[in-house]
Amino acid sequence: MSLVIAGRIVPLSRAPKVAASESATFQGKVWIGNDGRIAAVTKGSAQGPKGFETAPVADVDNDLVIPGFIDLHSHLAYAALPLWVEPNRTVPFPHHDIWPTRPTYPESVTWPAYALIEATPVELLAYAEIRALIGGTTSIQGSPPSNRPLDGWLVRNIEDETLGGEVGRNQVLASTLTLKSEQLGERATRMRQGATFIYHCAEGRPGSIVQREYLATRTAGCLQRHLVAIHTNSVDPAAYDTWSEPGAIVWSPFSNLWLYGTTTDVPAALARNINLCVGSDWGPSGTRNVLGELKVASLVNEANGWGITDFDLVKMITANPGDVLAQAWQRQAGRLQPGALGDVVVIAARPRTDPFKMILRATEAGVRLVVVNGRPLYGTEALMRQAGATYTSEISLNGRLQGQSRRLALTRFDADVQSWSFAEVLKRLEEVRADPKAAIERSRRLAFASIRSGGAPRLRLALDMPTGKVPVGGLPKDLATIVVPPIQPLAHDSEFFASISGRGFHGGLLDGLADFYK
Amino acid sequence: MIHLTGGRDAGATLLRAQTGQLLSEFLFGTPPPAARARRGESGGEAGARINLAYVLDGGERLRIIDALITVISGAYCHLPQKRAAYAFDPVQALHLLRSRVAELSEGEFHLALTSIVLGLRDAHTRYSGPRARQGGVATLPFLVEQYGSHDEPVFVVSKVSAPQLIRDPKFTAGVVLESWNSIPFARAVDLYADRETGGRPDARRARALESLTFRALEGGPPPDEMLVDIGYRILPAGTRREIRIPWRVVHPASANTSQRPGSRASRYLAADQAAEVVRRAKKMMFSGAVWQAERSGVAVARDKGWIKTWFQDALAARVITDKKQGDLGYLRIWSFDVDDDDAFIAEVIRLLDLLPETGLIIDLRGNPGGLIWAAERLLQLFTPNTITPVRFSVLATPLTRALARSPFNRIEFEAWLPSLEAAIATGEAYSQPLPLTDPAWCTDIGQRYSGPVVCVVDPNTYSAGDLFAAGFVDNEIGTLVCVGEGSGAGGANVWTHYDLREALVGTPFELEGLPADVGYTVAIRRALRSGAADGMPIEDLGIPGIPYEMTLDDLLHENRDLIGFCAGFLAGIPRTAMKVEVNGNTVAVTTSGLDELEIYADGRPFEAVRKISDGIQQLPLPDSEVIEFAGRRNGEICQRRKVLT
Repeated sequence: MSLVIAGRIVPLSRAPKVAASESATFQGKVWIGNDGRIAAVTKGSAQGPKGFETAPVADVDNDLVIPGFIDLHSHLAYAALPLWVEPNRTVPFPHHDIWPTRPTYPESVTWPAYALIEATPVELLAYAEIRALIGGTTSIQGSPPSNRPLDGWLVRNIEDETLGGEVGRNQVLASTLTLKSEQLGERATRMRQGATFIYHCAEGRPGSIVQREYLATRTAGCLQRHLVAIHTNSVDPAAYDTWSEPGAIVWSPFSNLWLYGTTTDVPAALARNINLCVGSDWGPSGTRNVLGELKVASLVNEANGWGITDFDLVKMITANPGDVLAQAWQRQAGRLQPGALGDVVVIAARPRTDPFKMILRATEAGVRLVVVNGRPLYGTEALMRQAGATYTSEISLNGRLQGQSRRLALTRFDADVQSWSFAEVLKRLEEVRADPKAAIERSRRLAFASIRSGGAPRLRLALDMPTGKVPVGGLPKDLATIVVPPIQPLAHDSEFFASISGRGFHGGLLDGLADFYK
Repeated sequence: MIHLTGGRDAGATLLRAQTGQLLSEFLFGTPPPAARARRGESGGEAGARINLAYVLDGGERLRIIDALITVISGAYCHLPQKRAAYAFDPVQALHLLRSRVAELSEGEFHLALTSIVLGLRDAHTRYSGPRARQGGVATLPFLVEQYGSHDEPVFVVSKVSAPQLIRDPKFTAGVVLESWNSIPFARAVDLYADRETGGRPDARRARALESLTFRALEGGPPPDEMLVDIGYRILPAGTRREIRIPWRVVHPASANTSQRPGSRASRYLAADQAAEVVRRAKKMMFSGAVWQAERSGVAVARDKGWIKTWFQDALAARVITDKKQGDLGYLRIWSFDVDDDDAFIAEVIRLLDLLPETGLIIDLRGNPGGLIWAAERLLQLFTPNTITPVRFSVLATPLTRALARSPFNRIEFEAWLPSLEAAIATGEAYSQPLPLTDPAWCTDIGQRYSGPVVCVVDPNTYSAGDLFAAGFVDNEIGTLVCVGEGSGAGGANVWTHYDLREALVGTPFELEGLPADVGYTVAIRRALRSGAADGMPIEDLGIPGIPYEMTLDDLLHENRDLIGFCAGFLAGIPRTAMKVEVNGNTVAVTTSGLDELEIYADGRPFEAVRKISDGIQQLPLPDSEVIEFAGRRNGEICQRRKVLT
């Protein structure tokens, strides 16, 4: 369906027909066609393209109409888990191979994540995507490996997205685990053929042993413009010089500070024209959405005196990752301009305020409408109605919305004409929490019955992070000993902020995150 | 003693189950023409050809062969060993069959395919043809067993089923068998042995003997003949008599304690599934009341003198009296086919508490295996030694590497992956061997039985039964007695084709579904022994022990001689015992035959070594999660108990 959104447009476009500059904003309209692409971006009351005569119009007045946020680093499988750090540890972890070896890691991370992903994969996926959505995210990386494609449901799953068949599967490759040289060589070849490769690389303290992972990517021929390197915080900045045709780095400052006490040298990367993006990482050491992570980026920027502007920070969750996806999909994302993906978020704003400061300071309560591929998926009741949303249900964010209600347009994974509420999703997750053993065993039996009967396979998802030190076979002897911690609220809340203070290795810097949400 | 609450109705129900269906009707849907003519039925031409139940087309045959080529060349863990042992290349044989697949008749195709798989001599790795009905067993209503030496065996009927199924009242337990379809009986056994699984001749013969009267239809072809003519004598010097008995098909179903398809336990099985269903059929035919009582939900005893148990399908226990040794414990483990090893072990502990601690005979004869965890964790109850479990390795091939790398298998196979990848450079044929039962799970309960223990196995003690026997010997728990040359020699973790299909989803080796209910099972992880036999495979070798030849008295009088033989090994061993009881803040340790007591709290010494003599030690309960008591005699640890607070 087509859709028109009228408001204060923040297009972040470099197309001269749209705006005079990338940072320009104006009152206008975004016209999204039936194909889910932006047909036009117009100023004032200028006439729009033909074919929109009956299109619903969502008028957001002075609120900001901006490109949907793009999170290039997450792990959806672990979204429901709380922050984790090894108890009583007093020094930061040297690198990413250390924390999975800690004794509490499997019981705190691997096993509860396994219980949820094995017993209730669809609900876990729904939870993770809704959590992204309510923070304005329209595309997210980090989909769990799955036995069926995940595209076309809620937010865009970057590794699975085909744009309705326009691009082939496996156009975006990803690996959380460190690859061997042979595998990196294969990725280098795939990138030369046009694929984009998102790779966790050299995650750790500066100078730690894992910086050789960056060297390995170079040796394998992976330092190409299609490489998206996540973290690289252990890398000597001088090594960025070897990335002669630079790609992108995804910066996850919360996770870096939480685990290692330091983070990526962003100015050094920017100085070498590396495209910088921000990613939220995962439940055990990350923020709940990329809008939250942007605030951490701002805190680090200020604390280090890096001088990165709010505009440049906002681009790290919109235009910059949008350019990465444009390479992979041959279709612009993260910018509002003709031909680009119709992914839009509306952020509440007062007139004449600095739009980029407003975006940076916005919380989940300020997210008024989220549109993916021209489909309104989440927003205030009024805007969802104006935008012609269907199959909606009310969603509660635990008092974070200051009395405003929100609607969610969610349909069941296997039936796109059947409405599904977040309350039902949460109920099922809580059932698994209550009895993980029974839920895992039931799921295994159903999966077996399905393969035995020759029916359509049930959706299966797999974990993508290290397993840790576990018994042979990966699980505790008695599955009843698996404890799934409380399912975390979708939005950043006071309990989340309380769990930051005095934990992790951020030296108090992350305590400042709570100030954005007061 | 079982009392059927349903009285006559229950008896009729049992008889119906034991009667089952004539094999001819089962296979062909209607009685064969000759039988119809005898019954005076019309409508079928005399001598009309019997149609086979399902005919595969060429494409379906290729799918089956290609799946087997992929699996046997890429995942079958005994492939190098079988090539060496039998000078036989199953992969090449499958390729040859593939090249002429369309030229063969349906019967020729299945015979050729079955022969290739049977050539592996591996009861874990079986092919079942189209429409092989799950759980069906072709039966004759009696049991044949042998006694005497391997060279001069005597074959006798040891049990008969319901009299309604055998019209000759003189055909009873104890008759000596002379011929089988006019073939001398010993020769018939040898002929069948050539078609059976089993690495050693005695193992093949044992399975052949069983297959003469019981054949699982999902594990191999049905009998060729619909009826069997049996020549027998009531006494060795008596008159030769003949009886004709038709094959019937029965469905004994699984016990409610057995492994459930798709459960977590189902990936950790070591079992001859065909032998398991045959075991169930034997139970139905010869211990019908016990079989029928399974669904009642109450604990039952097998017969007078046996202890009631909830796990009656897997366990039986009683006190036996030996002329020389006096009262001893006897624990029969029929099968390790259980879904919940914790519940199984808890029941064994309960039974052990009811048996005298003067000595124990554990009888695993005919145990076809089951859950690996159940077999290996059970060992700890009988010894103060720390149990080292058997380790399992995977064939190092591109397929197993892809399987281990698949994100869906990572949590289960991650530990095997480094060595599978290293094998590319090292040239190792196998991955690193790793236990499937975590060593910590083998010591989580600790010793529970004080007395000496002897274990009995035979060539039909298979797979998880082999693992128990291996652990019994390699962890120096007691004496192993073997009827025959050793245990059954099935050394692997076995998967079904469903397991393998699921595990290979998303890999370059993804398997298609098979047509017409065709299926197979495959040995996927190869078992290697520990202790003094460290690294030795179990497959085809089995676990040798002290040999024993069965007697006629054994067959007809509840193993009388065998029990006496085993009891002899329990004699002359210094008796020690320990019992630990926690009462609030104190613990009472009752010992006999021990001279030192050590106490460990959460793995640390709690106090200096305590000199003790027989009697009760009242001690304060240490403030810790795990308390361990070790009792020594002349410096050797003879008893160990673990208490979890």
